[in-house]
Amino acid sequence: MDHTSDPGALRYVIDPGRLDLVEEFRASPLGVHSPELRKLLARMRWGKPEGRLVLIVLEPGKAWRLSRIPKRRGDPMPFVDDRVFTSLVEAEWHVFKLRWQEMTGTTLPAEVSGDL
Amino acid sequence: MIYKTNEYLGYPDRISVPAGEAVRFQLSSTRPSVKVEVLRLRCGDVDTNGPGFKYEVMTSPIDGEHACLDQPIRPGSNAVIDHDGALVPTGGHWCFGAYVYPTRIADNARAVMGNWCERSARGYALELDDEGNLVLVLGQASKTPARFALDVKLRPRVWAFVSCALDLARGSASLSLIVPADGVRPAAAHSKSFALPQAPALDSGLPFLIAAHHANGDRQYTSHFDGKIEAPRVFSCPLDAEALRVFDGRLRTGASDAGLVAFWDFSDGISSLSIKDVSPNSLHGSLRQLPRRGVTGFHWSGSVHDWRLSPEEYAAIHFHSDDIYDCGWQTTCTLDVPAHWRSGVYALRLTSGGDNPDRDCESYVTFFVTPGKASRRADLVVVASVATYLAYANSALRLYQVHFETLMEHVLWLPQDDVFMQENPEIGQSTYDCHVDGSGRAYSSWLRPVLNMRPRGYWFNLINDTHILDWLEEKGIAYDLITDVELDREGARALAPYRVLMTPTHPEYYSFSMMNAIMAYQNAGGRHISMGGNAFYWRCGFHPAAPAALEVRRGMAGTRTWESEPGEVHLAGTGEPGSLWRHSGFAPQKLVGVGFSAMINDTCGYYLRTAESEDARVAFIFEGTGRHEKFGDFGFRYNGAVGSEIDRYDLELGTPPHALRIATSEGLGAGALPTPEEFRTVVDGLDGTQNALVRADMVFFEAAHGGAVFATGSITYGMSLGHNNYDNNISTITLNVVNRFLDPRPFVMPAKT
Repeated sequence: MDHTSDPGALRYVIDPGRLDLVEEFRASPLGVHSPELRKLLARMRWGKPEGRLVLIVLEPGKAWRLSRIPKRRGDPMPFVDDRVFTSLVEAEWHVFKLRWQEMTGTTLPAEVSGDL
Repeated sequence: MIYKTNEYLGYPDRISVPAGEAVRFQLSSTRPSVKVEVLRLRCGDVDTNGPGFKYEVMTSPIDGEHACLDQPIRPGSNAVIDHDGALVPTGGHWCFGAYVYPTRIADNARAVMGNWCERSARGYALELDDEGNLVLVLGQASKTPARFALDVKLRPRVWAFVSCALDLARGSASLSLIVPADGVRPAAAHSKSFALPQAPALDSGLPFLIAAHHANGDRQYTSHFDGKIEAPRVFSCPLDAEALRVFDGRLRTGASDAGLVAFWDFSDGISSLSIKDVSPNSLHGSLRQLPRRGVTGFHWSGSVHDWRLSPEEYAAIHFHSDDIYDCGWQTTCTLDVPAHWRSGVYALRLTSGGDNPDRDCESYVTFFVTPGKASRRADLVVVASVATYLAYANSALRLYQVHFETLMEHVLWLPQDDVFMQENPEIGQSTYDCHVDGSGRAYSSWLRPVLNMRPRGYWFNLINDTHILDWLEEKGIAYDLITDVELDREGARALAPYRVLMTPTHPEYYSFSMMNAIMAYQNAGGRHISMGGNAFYWRCGFHPAAPAALEVRRGMAGTRTWESEPGEVHLAGTGEPGSLWRHSGFAPQKLVGVGFSAMINDTCGYYLRTAESEDARVAFIFEGTGRHEKFGDFGFRYNGAVGSEIDRYDLELGTPPHALRIATSEGLGAGALPTPEEFRTVVDGLDGTQNALVRADMVFFEAAHGGAVFATGSITYGMSLGHNNYDNNISTITLNVVNRFLDPRPFVMPAKT
């Protein structure tokens, strides 16, 4: 095993109280981020590919839709919901919120979790 | 519109075709017919935020509708031995066995050796069941397979000798497993005897196979083995399992071994697709779907790492159930390329025909037209990076790599081709991916559909390269196009007609002949504009016996997604060491002045001129631009001319001493990270915000006999050319370089070099 192939290699534990990092991300989902937010994002993005949320490009530069990497090669790869994103920034924010919920077990308060 | 891009799939028999010659297309679809058009691509990028999808529809003899077959892809490699009945057990005794090193024990049974046919249920074979137990499968007159299992599981990635002894006169069989000692594990031996069925049916009437069963009598195969097999052997005399194992396959002149029927020595002909039987029966065979040779065998000592020095230590073949070299489809149509067609990137556009075509159904098969014998040559030639397109062909990095989202620093964007690859893995993946057994893929071929070498496919490499063609067309610069396959096959002769060579965004994979062709061209007065980054990086080779396949061995360093197994860095096809050119003493800096330094995972940067850029030798490059401008702080898709993968100047790695570093990158961030061969020890201070070696350099130098080299050192440079309707400082300096390089006035090397 090597550092970039081990799905469990990252130690960072997301602190559900760090809403400041959520706000920083929400302000610029695809921007340049602080060292602490970079650590949080690296933790969210790391892990075994199976089950990972991904965006399927429906129309290049225009439309995207969420799917997940299936467990086995050869399995079908359905969309996870009906939402069509027309902005990558919106999609990035949406996935961030899903992962926050999944990884911390807490729901973000309304004041930091609205659409952009 | 959301396009269906895989309703039609196909591939050409040759990736590049000279004007005036023919290329055959093999197409497949569940639809009964296909409408074919031929496009010459100017910009293959369908993203509406870029220059736009631009092409010319050619008039060709194959325009129109063609009947189309639904042609399957059947991956999986194995050996086939025609034997005229010589490998059917007769008489009393029949003993057979081999060393095996299974790399995946799962799903279905995995065949080791035999002539067993699933459809007819006749023949015999050794196989591993889905838990790794050794099994003898036999046909019976009743047409019900008889299976006998030795209830001891083989372990993955542990060498073992498996064998079977049949005593047909007594109606008995024994299965044996010998696991030689290794590490702290002592040797072990297991065996079990069985009574054979009354009327065994051991003759399937079909060839003998290694690493697969016959699916039927139509040369279709199943139950492909994942793992290494070494030294399979067959005797027609009684031998206990250990005697069978230790049989010395090295035959002596004038000495024959009683009862020896066959002994396949895979150390003979490692660079070929033939397997040799060293017994007096000469039951030679052939390999299909390109399994990996030049791999360490049971007897590997670790004292050599080059199979050419000790082939007997490399007497194994690594078979994979998902190896794919040639889909073997029937030809749908043949294009006689008119002699007057311009060279360039071409694609078949495949759509549904009929009176009511589905407008959202659009697929492509890309090929390259090169100048024909009678073509008038342009002064400038673009060399398309086919080796690199192949290395990345059907890349599934976005699907299966642990680190890939962290690398890209955003939720991964998967084109629908990725969904197709997930749902149809038989199409085969790239040399960045791993086989289903976890071993890295060493081969990638164009004799199969390549989804990311097409318009509407993933843009990295080919589609990005067409941005440069688009710019050349926009500026009215006449050019020819050839591919690096011509460099590989013809060497410097392929470049000789041209004054200027342009290599595009990412010529990462270069063979020995390709590297030397460019060096010879530059030294003979040629001018080279190296437009890309991470260029001339991997030492690779086309396989001499499978010339549509690129072979890559990842070695132990470099930016890579898998690592070669110990002792397996040398290419099976050519024997030369794989890995990085840097580790073969020919770093990219030696060829073009710059070589790979870093990946840019976050924001792209731009260039600023250096003090060296004020040298009169390079004044022509910056004409029409300002001394302190930011060069390329813009660009399509990447938003900067310095990005993705970048290269730097380094005298120690071979940058010519008289080379001028005329511009260097600025604006790189914490997501700019060095490639592993750039540091000896991991310490803080390696990223782009801290480390001055994490950078792109733009260089210029003169070469002998009036030649010169200009290199940008960045993959994203080409995507900045079209910014602001092609009016920008990256476009300006590139045009300055092109115009001066096209000018026959010789460049002069400075006196002190």
